[in-house]
Amino acid sequence: MSCHGPASSPVPGRSGTATLAGTTAPSRVLLVGCPNVGKSTLFNALTGARQHTTNAPGTTVELATGTWRTARQAPPGQGPAGYNAADSVTERVIVDLPGTYSLLARSSDEQVTADTVRELARSYGEGGGQPGVVVVVLDATALARSLYLLAQVAETGVPLVVALTMLDLAPTATDWPGAAMEPDTLAAALAASLGVPVVPMDARNRTAGGGGELASAVDAIAQYPRGVSGLVPAASSVCCGTTAAAWQHHDAAPDMTQELAHAERLFEWVEQVSEQVSTCLARPLPSAAHGPAAATSVRRSPGPLPRTFSDRVDAVLLNPWAGIPVFLAVVWMLFELTTRFAAPLQSAIGQLVNGPMASAVTWFLGLFGLAGSWAQGLLVDGLLVGVGTVLTFLPVMAVMFAALGVLEDSGYLARAAFVADRAMRSLGLDGRALLPLIVGFGCNLPALAATRTLPHARQRLLTGLLIPLTSCSARLTVYVLLAGAFFPDHAGTVIFAMYLTSVLLVLGGGLLLRRTAFRDVSAGPLILVLPPYQRPHMRTLAMSVRLRVGSFVVRAGKIIVATMLVVWVLMAVPVTGQHAVGHVPVADSLYYGVAAGIAPVLAPAGFGNDHAAAALMTGFVAKEVVVGSFAQSYAVAEPGNPARAGGLGEQLRRSFEESSGGHGGAAALAFMVFVLAYTPCVAALAEQRRLFGWRPTASALTVQLTGAWVLAVLIFQVGSRL
Amino acid sequence: MTLPESPLGAELRVTGVRLAAVDAFRLNEMGIRLGTLAHVTQHAAFGGRVIAVAGSRYALDGETAALIDVEPVDRLG
Repeated sequence: MSCHGPASSPVPGRSGTATLAGTTAPSRVLLVGCPNVGKSTLFNALTGARQHTTNAPGTTVELATGTWRTARQAPPGQGPAGYNAADSVTERVIVDLPGTYSLLARSSDEQVTADTVRELARSYGEGGGQPGVVVVVLDATALARSLYLLAQVAETGVPLVVALTMLDLAPTATDWPGAAMEPDTLAAALAASLGVPVVPMDARNRTAGGGGELASAVDAIAQYPRGVSGLVPAASSVCCGTTAAAWQHHDAAPDMTQELAHAERLFEWVEQVSEQVSTCLARPLPSAAHGPAAATSVRRSPGPLPRTFSDRVDAVLLNPWAGIPVFLAVVWMLFELTTRFAAPLQSAIGQLVNGPMASAVTWFLGLFGLAGSWAQGLLVDGLLVGVGTVLTFLPVMAVMFAALGVLEDSGYLARAAFVADRAMRSLGLDGRALLPLIVGFGCNLPALAATRTLPHARQRLLTGLLIPLTSCSARLTVYVLLAGAFFPDHAGTVIFAMYLTSVLLVLGGGLLLRRTAFRDVSAGPLILVLPPYQRPHMRTLAMSVRLRVGSFVVRAGKIIVATMLVVWVLMAVPVTGQHAVGHVPVADSLYYGVAAGIAPVLAPAGFGNDHAAAALMTGFVAKEVVVGSFAQSYAVAEPGNPARAGGLGEQLRRSFEESSGGHGGAAALAFMVFVLAYTPCVAALAEQRRLFGWRPTASALTVQLTGAWVLAVLIFQVGSRL
Repeated sequence: MTLPESPLGAELRVTGVRLAAVDAFRLNEMGIRLGTLAHVTQHAAFGGRVIAVAGSRYALDGETAALIDVEPVDRLG
């Protein structure tokens, strides 16, 4: 074995990119790696903005797919003059698969990765064309762990290339004895040992990132595939056989004798590779001696452990006494950022849309004689209001994505999962779930977006279903109005009770879901790899925020705008013949007609009146406008401060007393609980649809409406009898 | 002794893992196996522990840590 060959030499006996002339790029490139190895950073660097996310078929697991473009090498003998510029770019489809430590999947996310690699192996085995190449992303600070996954991938028989990442962190962030190694030296040693191209990557460096070399290696290995030294591709290999599915079900422990024996062989292979690389580098690589090797482990003992920068920071952030207050401080900061900090920006955008933009559209329509027509209503009060709603959410979403990106990139998010683990264990959730659930008390929309930090799809879905039960600040205006109108002497206590109810609903809902639809979600042992702390990279962060906000605008924005248009149509169409379309008093609109149709359904809860039904319909769009809707339907001025409702309070008391048979207080409590428990707003619904798909969203909507009704009826029926 | 009983900074060898078979296997796959050498780098709340293995840091919750048996490494032996 030579230790000094080129690391990414694509073909034995040849070197560099010169061999690539005339090669054809593979149709698909799969990025596979352990969690937190810089896989997504590499994906973003290779694709830029040419990417989109979709759910893997039949799952809620999000997959990022992108186009990876590189300049094509001119064939020998053809200079730039004879070379068609149109053919000078090579494009490959690249897929960022969920991170996993093993192809023996333990979650739906890991299963998607295992299945996709296996599917590629199958296509490859059937022959015909170049179905694809796997890029296995290896963490230079934790080679042994990454090599095990590489071995499993190699055994499937897919052609693969290695991308070596985290090289910038290795010298400072780890006590690994080979940390100060030159990236090229380490890559060459690994390539010599593995027998496949190894490309050192610096995905954060736009100019010297290694993308060109990686592309050359990928294209070459697609054309001249070869296996990994010391591993025999086997279609029936345990790692990729049918046993993988059984591992998802923790309760049904499969017979693991065969798997253990096979894994032991892979561990031994990892040890051999580590030994070979050590020999090449003439210094020891980290090796967790085990099994038969244990007898010699003292020889390779790490000895006294040097404390890294991350160890020193963890001494504070994971301290038994300081860790939880620090975590709560971080959550408080997120809460403030998505509420207090984002609010002025939201307000400014709202004023811009409703002021100058609405005036401009009206003026423009006036040029065509359409001012004051139904077309103006549709465009200004329907379409523009919808677009404005989407735009006003942009600051809060951007702030949340940026804050989460900083927490994730810095390495703190994994610590947060560890610190909050105990609190979420009873719900079967990862500690990281506490973060979006608390943020939900500010606004449900960024909280839903924050579920992306959870590692497993089922946990993301469960958390996403619980978030609407957290009482967002928009609902507070409704509590203040009704508590002030019906319980003026105990308004504070009533509002506090609503927040307590919210917490109980989250806990109760979580426990109920875990015992029913989410029996597969369980809090197993927490074994987390803590990445070294690092400074977030601003360019990468900015691109990530831009892509995620863009995804929200495109995928959730459409639903929000469509809903606003439907609301406008309902408000604009008269149910009597006395009004023209677009010029209808609320009480004579189709909107109010629908509300009147819904009102009897709400009668068992004590608020079966048209006003309450119309307000709940408006609340479906946004809770912020419920108070305004009440004011509009009673034809009174909207109070500046809901706590001093004045005439509106009078009207509310009268109609609630009337519809509840003299139990207005109980009906008001029931109404507040309904507002707490049903759909938070159309934007949250659209975000749920974006994250989880139509089916879970529709199910959640049904459960929310039914649950809110049942709770409200219960509260009223009990309350009216006390 | 178990992991939570080990002092901070101690150098240890894993001698037993009493987790469910599938969980023990995943621990294996992640790099913590019988014979693995480790250092305890952090005591966390509720018995949680952070250990250093081959340059990486692993966080384990208290219940999991209590099911991992270790012995001190005799560096002179």
